[in-house]
Amino acid sequence: MSTQLLVVDDLHTTFRTAAGLVAAVGGVSFDLATNETVGIVGESGSGKTVLARTIMGLQPRSNVEVRGSVLLDGHQVVGASEREMRERWATDVSMVFQDPMTSLNPVMRIGRQIDETLRVRLGMDKRAARARAIELLAMVGMPSAEHRYRAYPTQLSGGMRQRVVIATALACSPKLLIADEPTTGLDVTIQAQILNLLDDLKEQLHMSVILITHDLGVVATRTSRIIVMYAGRIVEMGATRDVFFRHRMPYTRALLESSPKVSNPSHTRLRVIPGRPPNLSTLTSGCAFAPRCSSASERCHQERPSLEPAEEPGHVFACWHPLAATELHEAPR
Amino acid sequence: MSSVLDDVVDPEALAPKRLGALFWICVGWLALNVLGAIFANVLPLVNPLYQNYNAINAGPSLHHWLGTDDLGRDILSRIVYGSRVSITVGIGAMVIGFGIGLPLGMLAAFRRGRLDSLLTAFMYVFLAFPAIIAVIAVLSFWTPRSLFKIIVVIGLASVPLVYRVIRTATLAVAARDFVTAAKVQGATDRRILVKELLPNIAPIAVSFLLIGVATVVTLEGVLAFLGLSVNPPTPSWGNMINESRTVMAQNPWLVLFPSLALCLFLLCLNFIGDRLRTYFDVTEVKL
Repeated sequence: MSTQLLVVDDLHTTFRTAAGLVAAVGGVSFDLATNETVGIVGESGSGKTVLARTIMGLQPRSNVEVRGSVLLDGHQVVGASEREMRERWATDVSMVFQDPMTSLNPVMRIGRQIDETLRVRLGMDKRAARARAIELLAMVGMPSAEHRYRAYPTQLSGGMRQRVVIATALACSPKLLIADEPTTGLDVTIQAQILNLLDDLKEQLHMSVILITHDLGVVATRTSRIIVMYAGRIVEMGATRDVFFRHRMPYTRALLESSPKVSNPSHTRLRVIPGRPPNLSTLTSGCAFAPRCSSASERCHQERPSLEPAEEPGHVFACWHPLAATELHEAPR
Repeated sequence: MSSVLDDVVDPEALAPKRLGALFWICVGWLALNVLGAIFANVLPLVNPLYQNYNAINAGPSLHHWLGTDDLGRDILSRIVYGSRVSITVGIGAMVIGFGIGLPLGMLAAFRRGRLDSLLTAFMYVFLAFPAIIAVIAVLSFWTPRSLFKIIVVIGLASVPLVYRVIRTATLAVAARDFVTAAKVQGATDRRILVKELLPNIAPIAVSFLLIGVATVVTLEGVLAFLGLSVNPPTPSWGNMINESRTVMAQNPWLVLFPSLALCLFLLCLNFIGDRLRTYFDVTEVKL
């Protein structure tokens, strides 16, 4: 408890829709230590974003049911009212959104967007907030921060905007930062800059980071552990090294194989995972990945495998027909 | 500064956006109308009720610039005094319409859920009912008529329209990440509504406000034409047109000038509203 900042236990997030119940998150358990970075990977629609928002306590109250437990720094998030969460947001947990084009208010100067939270949450006066905002802008690598303080979002490039978003999220020194695909809207060189920045800031501010992405390259060098999600469940989780080199779940291998590698000869066709992610409202009792899995058997369609420990400590996977444990899989890059 | 130019889009480098000369001409014309309405008393105008028996149904002349009506009253003076009614009704009704419709529309779009469903259903029932009929019915029974009552009735009738436009505009903004971002930065609902949402829907609200004023001025004209606006002899553009109907053959000026005043006023309002909307329509594509 004392070292674990975040403990998620059997978390379910179910949406009531016209098409029936949609189990966007179906029984997820994991924990996160202080100053640790964990990566959550999975295809679109695997429940990553819903999981992040549930951990933030951000789900709409109507038409959604959240069960299980999210203990953040010893406080329960599930069932907490918005008023209660408002006390925790920004100072305990904060979020960097996907698209820096839409996560900044287009008609407010960027400095004021950072100011606001400092004044509202930390009760700073105008002058102190301004000084701190400029400091934060400088910290996230904004050139001539003092000058840029008065800029509007449209006057900044995508990468610069994402730096502002990060500065805003870090304004109150949160203990946990959830970065939901923070680099999706940015080009590759900027992506690396932003990720390195997040990494540096994590060390500087002693925070924990949940890095959500569909790009395994993003999490490879920056996380200590990786959680692979499929159809709202964890299918494999372990130390980054183990997930990359000793993964047991066929889905993890499929994900790894579908990322491009520099070592491949030119014009190599990218491997794709056949089929589509399943419709979450019509999940069967079997393994959700079975219809797309090459080694699926009758059992896979009938019974859902539970998370079983692998040999390495902390490495778990959910599969009836795991890949051979001794096999040292090809490095992703 | 120069070292970071590659990171920053210089606002001056973008194609300068202009409102155009026609926009300012329209603004000028409206300003002239409004100033005329405010300062009608101090302007060197003949009393709009004074009857000059030496000039009945006279055409434009040096003495009566726009001529006189069948009772010998100065048309220019009556148009300027008449604009008071039209402009007061236009602005007053929109103050009521926006005063109620704007907060309700924003709140419904922001909160969603049952409040939104109830309010929207309620407003749509009113929208389905022809407003003009409701306004005529209420004004016929709520006597004696006064400017205040006309403003209240038209203002209330415009609430559903304002509500619908504001709600839709707010929905589009409220779904964007910066609203959620503000929320998780600790902003209260009121703060989000006032500081995040309101400035973002302001351009739409302002242009709709102008077009709303134009619609209300027309509506007042219609009411006056039906004899349901302010009582004669107080002039309004609508009742001037109405009264001139009977003598149209002898004195076409009488119907022409108030109609022209009304028409130009509406044209300017619509043009300004339209121009502002495109002016504020910032799209990322332009970067």
